[in-house]
Amino acid sequence: MKITRILSIVMAFALCLTCLAGCGGASGYTAENTEYVIGVSGPLTGGAAVYGTAVKNSAQMAVDEINAAGGLNGVNFKLVATDDTHDATKVAANYASMLEGGMQVSLGTVTTAPGLEFTNLSAEDNVFFITPSASGDDIPKNDNGFQMCFADGNQGKVAADYVNSLGLDSIGIFYKSDDAYSNGIYKQFKENLDSSISTVEAVFTDANATDFSSQITTLKDCKFIFMPIYYQPASVFMTQAKDTVAADAVYYGCDGFDGLAGQFEDFSIIPQEVSMLSHFDSNATEGAAAEFIKKYTDKFGTETLNQFGASAYDCVYAIYNAMKKAVDEGEEIDVTISASDLCEILKAQFTGDFTFSGTTGDDITWEDNGYVTKSAVKYTLKTANSAE
Amino acid sequence: MAGKIKNIKWKYYINYIAIAIFTVVFSVMSFTGNLSSSNIYLLEKIAIAVMLSVSLSVVVGFLGELSLGHAGFMCVGAYLGGKASCILEPVLGNGVLTLIISLIAGGVIAALCGIIIGLPALRLKGDYLAIVTLAFGEIVRSLFMNSSDESFGGSLGLNTPRYDKNILYIIAFVLVLLCLAVLQNLIRSKHGRAITSIRDNEIAARATGINVTKYKLAVFTVSSFFAGIAGVLYSYSNFTVQSTKFSYNYSIEILVMVVLGGMGSINGSIIAATLITFLDVKLQTILTGNLAVLQDLFYALVLIILVIYNNAPGLKSFRETNNLKSIFNKIRKPKRDPSRRADDEAKWDRVPTKIEMNEILSVEIQPTSSTVEPDRKENKND
Amino acid sequence: MKFIETLLNGLSMGSTYAMIALGYTMVYGIAKMLNFAHGDIIMVGGYMIFLSMTAVGNPVLGLAAAVIFCVVLGITIEKIAYKPLRGASPLAVLITAIGVSYLLQSSAQMIFGSAPKMVIIADLGNLEFAGLKVPVYTLVTLGCSVVIMLALNLFVKYTKIGRAMIAVSEDKGAAQLMGINVNGIITVTFAIGSALAAFAGFFMLMKSPSLTNTLGAMPGIKAFTAAVIGGIGSIPGAMVGGILIGVVEAISLTVPAIAAYTDAIEFLILIVILLVRPTGILGKKRREKV
Repeated sequence: MKITRILSIVMAFALCLTCLAGCGGASGYTAENTEYVIGVSGPLTGGAAVYGTAVKNSAQMAVDEINAAGGLNGVNFKLVATDDTHDATKVAANYASMLEGGMQVSLGTVTTAPGLEFTNLSAEDNVFFITPSASGDDIPKNDNGFQMCFADGNQGKVAADYVNSLGLDSIGIFYKSDDAYSNGIYKQFKENLDSSISTVEAVFTDANATDFSSQITTLKDCKFIFMPIYYQPASVFMTQAKDTVAADAVYYGCDGFDGLAGQFEDFSIIPQEVSMLSHFDSNATEGAAAEFIKKYTDKFGTETLNQFGASAYDCVYAIYNAMKKAVDEGEEIDVTISASDLCEILKAQFTGDFTFSGTTGDDITWEDNGYVTKSAVKYTLKTANSAE
Repeated sequence: MAGKIKNIKWKYYINYIAIAIFTVVFSVMSFTGNLSSSNIYLLEKIAIAVMLSVSLSVVVGFLGELSLGHAGFMCVGAYLGGKASCILEPVLGNGVLTLIISLIAGGVIAALCGIIIGLPALRLKGDYLAIVTLAFGEIVRSLFMNSSDESFGGSLGLNTPRYDKNILYIIAFVLVLLCLAVLQNLIRSKHGRAITSIRDNEIAARATGINVTKYKLAVFTVSSFFAGIAGVLYSYSNFTVQSTKFSYNYSIEILVMVVLGGMGSINGSIIAATLITFLDVKLQTILTGNLAVLQDLFYALVLIILVIYNNAPGLKSFRETNNLKSIFNKIRKPKRDPSRRADDEAKWDRVPTKIEMNEILSVEIQPTSSTVEPDRKENKND
Repeated sequence: MKFIETLLNGLSMGSTYAMIALGYTMVYGIAKMLNFAHGDIIMVGGYMIFLSMTAVGNPVLGLAAAVIFCVVLGITIEKIAYKPLRGASPLAVLITAIGVSYLLQSSAQMIFGSAPKMVIIADLGNLEFAGLKVPVYTLVTLGCSVVIMLALNLFVKYTKIGRAMIAVSEDKGAAQLMGINVNGIITVTFAIGSALAAFAGFFMLMKSPSLTNTLGAMPGIKAFTAAVIGGIGSIPGAMVGGILIGVVEAISLTVPAIAAYTDAIEFLILIVILLVRPTGILGKKRREKV
């Protein structure tokens, strides 16, 4: 009893002191910056770590390139990446620690669920962020938030328009019912789909993400299967279903499909056609995308190569270009500029006539509400085997 | 004729005093602008964790039933309290009244769930109960996960109003004090002794006329009520309530806090919850990539080693000669007082050990200070 | 037709669950502890299959390597983490098991990274007869598990070690008095459980090729549910429970209205069964002595 009491007092004092040590003024976190600090919160461990790692690697690559080329008027950039393990409750601590560490501009979060928290937090302090991959419709709801990826709702709508134009009678839909990304696309897709097209639906959750035999049984007669899911479960589904679903069927996905080919040693074991609607193709052989892919794989290998990384790479460059343009236009950007001041400058740029060309598209612009405007391309990842 | 002040059992109140002092210190710091927002978030998390671990501690440490569904009760509280605050916010504003009503709503509904899950608990024992509570948590989570967008937000989560962060953690600590007051008084009352007797031997407890059913149900209800309150606080400290948070892994995290703090020790739970949350949040922002995995690895190893050290029957003699207490005793030999006992034991100090019968016998009867029995008891409960 | 296919899916899923559940139930029956880390043995087995598949390319060798490694790992865990706690409170053992589970998961993530690995074991194709189209792996899984479970039953009933296992689970003290090496029997139990987990890992990877460090977590919980439904400690109970959970899951996933609630339904079945029969379907009611 005695020892517990003493211990509790000691612990509490230790805690108190540590907290005191971490104290600073409420403002002026950026006063001692010697570099522009870009912050990002993403899943660096846990089940979604592959996406966070891709973003961190690619953003770091972009930062290194910019610094090697002299930075912004001689001032370098610095990337601070924190780990949220795809858990929304960890974002607040990450955000506060990054802000107190001098963060001036941010890439937001990598995934949507923590992103919803980040959106609200950053609005309170007016911190500019452009997220590479948190595609939820609500992410850019405040005027300090922008997206480099397509919003889920838009993707669902575009996908539905495409499917409507195909003139099919019935399609299959396979989605993850407990995932914000998958659900977001699914809902908009269903809403915009012609009522004449009948649908067969199958869902999965985290809990049964390793065995899809029941879902395959449900979907096996469909000739067209829309799959608004990420590439990892998609690869599992396709491998498991390759002989059961008709060989002339088509798998159609959204930008989550990107990285699918990298999952297979030999993609041709899947007999069906696989295509996706996306802004980036990690098998690109020409253009900015191919250049990025080469640089990335030289440095980090192919395991974490996906559109998340490409998008993050673009985000860093977009921030850099916008800051540069603002400086050229006579705005004053000092290395100790506060996050809020920088936010106003960048907001004016992104909603103004700023355009950006990078690995995920050319002539990218942003709407006033933060959604990105760029061309979505239908990539055929693989044609049906029988057609060859 | 000792002074009255000496009769106050300070050890009973030390945790209230400590928490109250720190709350005051931190509020002064925050009102003078010396508390950074990352520390405010940390304090909110600590308050929630303390409330969860203390309320689980009553079920696991004192009633002796294993519950793996504590996150489920918290989930109920978070969603329903959050929903209540969403509904009330346009009417009453985001003020104290809304907060109180949602706290009550979340807590009471979580307590109702506690009754529902406590009913089978009367029939089930040990590991069976553990799996039922786990199942309950997963069912609740699944229901909220698949709810419609209008009701509870489905997979996107429920958007809840966030309370002013400069005040919320103070409210949270006040609620922690309230929770402590209720639970400690329950444990130290005659009901508390009935509850611990159920843990020690249910059949014997029944034989002595204790209404086991009633007590089990009561403990479950109280515990889930506070888990629900913690859930409402959670909904107030976050902008969104997402069901993915409340998986069985979270229940296990809370259980680990209780176990590391020491079974049957409320102060232990408070310390363990504070330390674990503190380390988690601080390390989370410092460590990334492989280092973060290393943290998990280290955490797992510490957990295994600590539990084995504290519980292995083979290490008993080693433990008794090499523990904090004996080290502490070497430094400062404390006055031996056989009346000192752990919280949950019978109030031996009420039994007169010193009989003042000078007029009759003119002999002072008192227990010899070298008796082995009290010492052993003390160690067991440390 | 679709229903029969779904049923077959369910049976094959269920037999995998049953195999994991056997590990839980045997360890519970004999060591009286919940081995929470059991699910993660599956994951370790999966990674062993992955390693040997990339090194040698033969699935049978991969399975053998996984079984051997898992048995060694299972015994090591038992000796280091659980044995010192024999006689301690069940809760302490449970927490240690949870610690071991965390340890295995995070070490796997340290070594292999968090990106999922694709392990394609064998391309078996489909079997078509009488209008049915059934993947061969379903039948292989089903067949193998039936054989393994029969063998296990025979082993427990008719060999000396098996009978000793029954004796230890009935009354440890009496068994010890009869000259049974209780520690040895517990070790054997862990070895068998781990081997079964390796088999389950093999079947899971044969169905779906994705391997992550949480491969065993949810199947582990579901198998635990299955073991409790069947009556924990009872070997036939684990089989019944596993098959029941598998079939329910398969059917529920094919009904659109309830597909998203599949996990909830499985857990609800558990609660209902425990309310009706507090010791599970085939569990024995033990009289408590004071």
